[in-house]
Amino acid sequence: MTANQNNLPLDGIRVFELGIAIASPFCGKLMAHFGADVLKIESQTSPDVVRILGSAWLKDREDLAPIASDTSPYVSEMNASKRSVGLELKTPEGKAVAMQLLAECDVFIANFGARALAELGFDYESAAAVNPNIVYVQLPGFGSNEEMPYYPFVAWGPNQAPLVGMDDFTGHADDPPAGIATVAPPDYMSAFHAAIAVITGLEQRDATGKGVHVDISQFETTLALLGPFVMDYDLTGAVHSRIGNRSMWGAPQGVYPCTGHERWIAISATEAQDWEAFSPLLGSSVDADFDDPSVRVSDQDRLDEQIAAWSKEFEAEDLAGRLQAAGIAAHVVSTNEDLLHDTHLTSRHWYQIAESKRLGRDIFTNSPVKLSRSSGRWTGAGPSMGEHTRDVLSEVVGMSSEDIDDLISVGGAFEQIQPEITTSRPWDDWIHLLIPGTEDARDR
Amino acid sequence: MSGPYSGLRVVDTTGLAGAYATRLLAGMGAEVIRVEPPEGSPIRQLSPFTEAIEPPENSLWWSYLAMGAHSVVIEVEDTDSLTRLLAEADVVFEDQLPGTPNAASELVTPKTIRTRILPFGLTGPKRHWRSSNLVAWAASGILYTTGFADRAPVAPAAPVQLAYHASAASALVGTLLALRSRRLTGVAQDVEISMQEVALSIAPETGVPMFMDDRVHRERSGNRRDLGRPFGLYPCRDGFVSIIVLMPRHWIAMAQWVSEITGNESITEAVFTDNAVRVEALDLIDDWIEELTTLHTRLELFEEGQSRGIPITPVNTIDALVDDPHLRAADFWDSTVLQNGAEVMIPGAPFRSSSAWWSMTPAPRLGEHTDRYLA
Repeated sequence: MTANQNNLPLDGIRVFELGIAIASPFCGKLMAHFGADVLKIESQTSPDVVRILGSAWLKDREDLAPIASDTSPYVSEMNASKRSVGLELKTPEGKAVAMQLLAECDVFIANFGARALAELGFDYESAAAVNPNIVYVQLPGFGSNEEMPYYPFVAWGPNQAPLVGMDDFTGHADDPPAGIATVAPPDYMSAFHAAIAVITGLEQRDATGKGVHVDISQFETTLALLGPFVMDYDLTGAVHSRIGNRSMWGAPQGVYPCTGHERWIAISATEAQDWEAFSPLLGSSVDADFDDPSVRVSDQDRLDEQIAAWSKEFEAEDLAGRLQAAGIAAHVVSTNEDLLHDTHLTSRHWYQIAESKRLGRDIFTNSPVKLSRSSGRWTGAGPSMGEHTRDVLSEVVGMSSEDIDDLISVGGAFEQIQPEITTSRPWDDWIHLLIPGTEDARDR
Repeated sequence: MSGPYSGLRVVDTTGLAGAYATRLLAGMGAEVIRVEPPEGSPIRQLSPFTEAIEPPENSLWWSYLAMGAHSVVIEVEDTDSLTRLLAEADVVFEDQLPGTPNAASELVTPKTIRTRILPFGLTGPKRHWRSSNLVAWAASGILYTTGFADRAPVAPAAPVQLAYHASAASALVGTLLALRSRRLTGVAQDVEISMQEVALSIAPETGVPMFMDDRVHRERSGNRRDLGRPFGLYPCRDGFVSIIVLMPRHWIAMAQWVSEITGNESITEAVFTDNAVRVEALDLIDDWIEELTTLHTRLELFEEGQSRGIPITPVNTIDALVDDPHLRAADFWDSTVLQNGAEVMIPGAPFRSSSAWWSMTPAPRLGEHTDRYLA
C-alpha cells in the first residue's frame, strides 16, 4: 500500500480544499493518494453533505448519534488520506486563521458555488492577495463570471446530468428519457479536469514561479464530451438522442436476458471479426441472412430477439466466459452483490482499507489511476470532522496551544467531537474476506 | 503550438480509448502524433459522417477528437518505422491487451512514459477480456440500476461513450503525474488504467462500500427516485425538466409556485413539508407538480424555478444546448474547419485559465505528417 512513499509526484504539495460531496473531494482524494497533504476545511454550521448522510446501521443507535457525521461510507470514499481541519469561515477569527493557512498552501481547490465562494471571501482575487502564486482551481456549476445568466443558479450532481444532455441520451429509443440518477458525470468529469489543471498549474509554477486561476464550469466541461453531436446538429440539424444499448456503428450490441430472475449479459460484437467469432456460438439460433453486416444493422430488432432467445438458455457468468474465450466483449450486468464477489477486482486490490480514528478501520475504493513506481499511499480512511485541526494549526500556521484553545472557544475552529466514542462497522468482522491479506477481526 | 505542454512529444496508438486525453494534450500545446494504419484510425470509421467529404476524412468523431494532432501512417507490421517514431516520444498511449505482439509499449526506450488503457487492467483473471463502452458500464454496477424496472437495463448516455472518455481523462491525470515525477527524479514510469475501475470509481452509489453499509440491493427506478418528492424527471411542454426537492425550503418554494400558477391550495398545507409524507403520497404529489410543469417550456421552468431558489434544470437536448442563453453569453462555442474548408461549431475549451493554456487546430488528413516524421 505504501511502497514508495518517499517518491510520490505530489510530495511536499499542500492543498487547501473547500469541498462538498463529490467534484472537489474526488480530485482531492487523488492528490492525497499521490503524496499531497490535502487539508479538508470543514464547517459544523454548513457541513459537507457527506457529513449529513450518516450511515444506514446507525439509525437505531442513539448512543452513536453524536458521531454520525463520521460514519457515511462516502466520508472515506471521497476523503481517504486527507486531514480534516475544522474552521468556521463565517467567523472573523476562523477566517483570519484560514487565510494564514491558505498562505502556506500550494493549491486551492473548491466546488462551492461561485457566488457562495465569493461571499465567503475565497474568490481568486482574495486568495491571491495572501498567496500570489497559488494554483487556484474552482469547479462551480456555471463558472465564476458573475455577469453570466446562470451564475447564481443552484447546481447539484443529479440535476447537472440532465442539464448537460446526459439524461436525454439515456434510455431505449421509444421510451421517455430514463435518467441517470445513480451516476453524476459532471461531478467526475470536472474532478478529472481539476486534477489535470492542478498538476499543470504546479508544473507551470515550478517553471515560471507564477500561479494560475483555472475556472472549471461543470456545465462547459461536460459539454466538451458532446463534440460530434454538436457538429452534426450544426451541419445537418440532426438531433441525436437515446438509442438504448445499441451502437451507432454496428450490430449486434445490447443487453440480453440470461437464466434466472433479472440476470442479464452485455455483449458488444459490432465489428466484422466479432461476428465471425459469434456466429458459430449462435449456430442456427439466428437467421442465416445476418451474415450480411448491413442486415445486422438494418434489422436489429429481429437480431436482438433471436439473440435474446438464445442467451436465455445460459447462466450469465458462464456465457460471459464463453464469449470472452471466443474474443467477444461481454460481461454480466453486475449487481452490487455481483461486485462483492468479483474476484478479478479483489485480486487487483480494488478495495482498500486504512485506519480510522472513529471506526477502527474503514474500506474505500482504490485510485483508478495506477503508476508503476509511485504506487501511491493511503495514510488513513476518511478523517473525522476536525480530527487534525490542532495538528495542522500548530504545525502549518505555527499557532501555540493556547492560541488554538482561544480560537476554539470563540467558535472560530473546532476539534473532533467526543473522541472517546469509537465503534466499528457491523461488517468489520468479515472484512478479511473482501480484502486479501487483511487481518481477521477474530485474530486481534 | 504554444501552451503548457509545448515541446512534449506524445504518440497515440489508441482508438477511442485515449482520444479524449490526447485531444486535451494537443489543446494544451503538446505535439500529439496519431499513428494510423493505411486505411485510417478506427475513429475515422465512426459515424456521424459529413456527406460533403469522402472517406476517410468524413467522420465527425475524428474531426473533433483528433484536433491538434499530427497523422503518421505506418503499416501494422512495420515495427522499424514505429520504433523510429517512438525514439523521441515522451509519452505513448496504448490500448492493446497485455501480450499483444509488437505493441508500441514494447518498442519504446526507457525514458518514455507508457500509458496503457485496458479493459480490465494488466493483471487479474480478466486481464485478457475485451470491453466496450457498454461492457465497462455492465462491469460497474451502474448499467443494472439504470432504466425502467419493466424494461432491460440501459447504459448511461450510451452514444456519448462516457466510459471511454472518463478512462482517457484518468489516463491523462496519471500521465501528467508521471511526467512530473520524471522531471523530479529523471525516471519514467508506466500508467495503467482499467476501464472497469474507472467506471466503478465514478459510480460509488452502486459500489461495494455502500452496499456493505446498507445491504440494499439496488434496482432500476426509472426516471424518478423514491428518496424524495418531487425527485426526477417531469414532463413539460417541450420535453422534460429535472426537479430534485429534499430540503424544506426548496419544498416551500415549490409548493408556493404550484399554488400560484394552478390555484392548488392543498399543496401548501404544512403536512407536506415533511419529505417522508410526500414520499408516502408520491402519486398525488407528482400529479400536482405535473399540473404546473406541463404548462411551460423547459427554459421557462428552469429560469423561473431557479429564480425561486428551487433545484430545477432542463433535460436538455442537443438543439437546446446549442441555443442555451448562458452558453451563448459566455461565448462558450468554438469552431473548427473540416477538410473541405467548411466551418463547423464545436464545444469550446473545457476550462478557462488565466494563463494561455488552450488553443486548437483542425484534425489532420490521413498521413498528412508521415513524411515529416519518417522521411
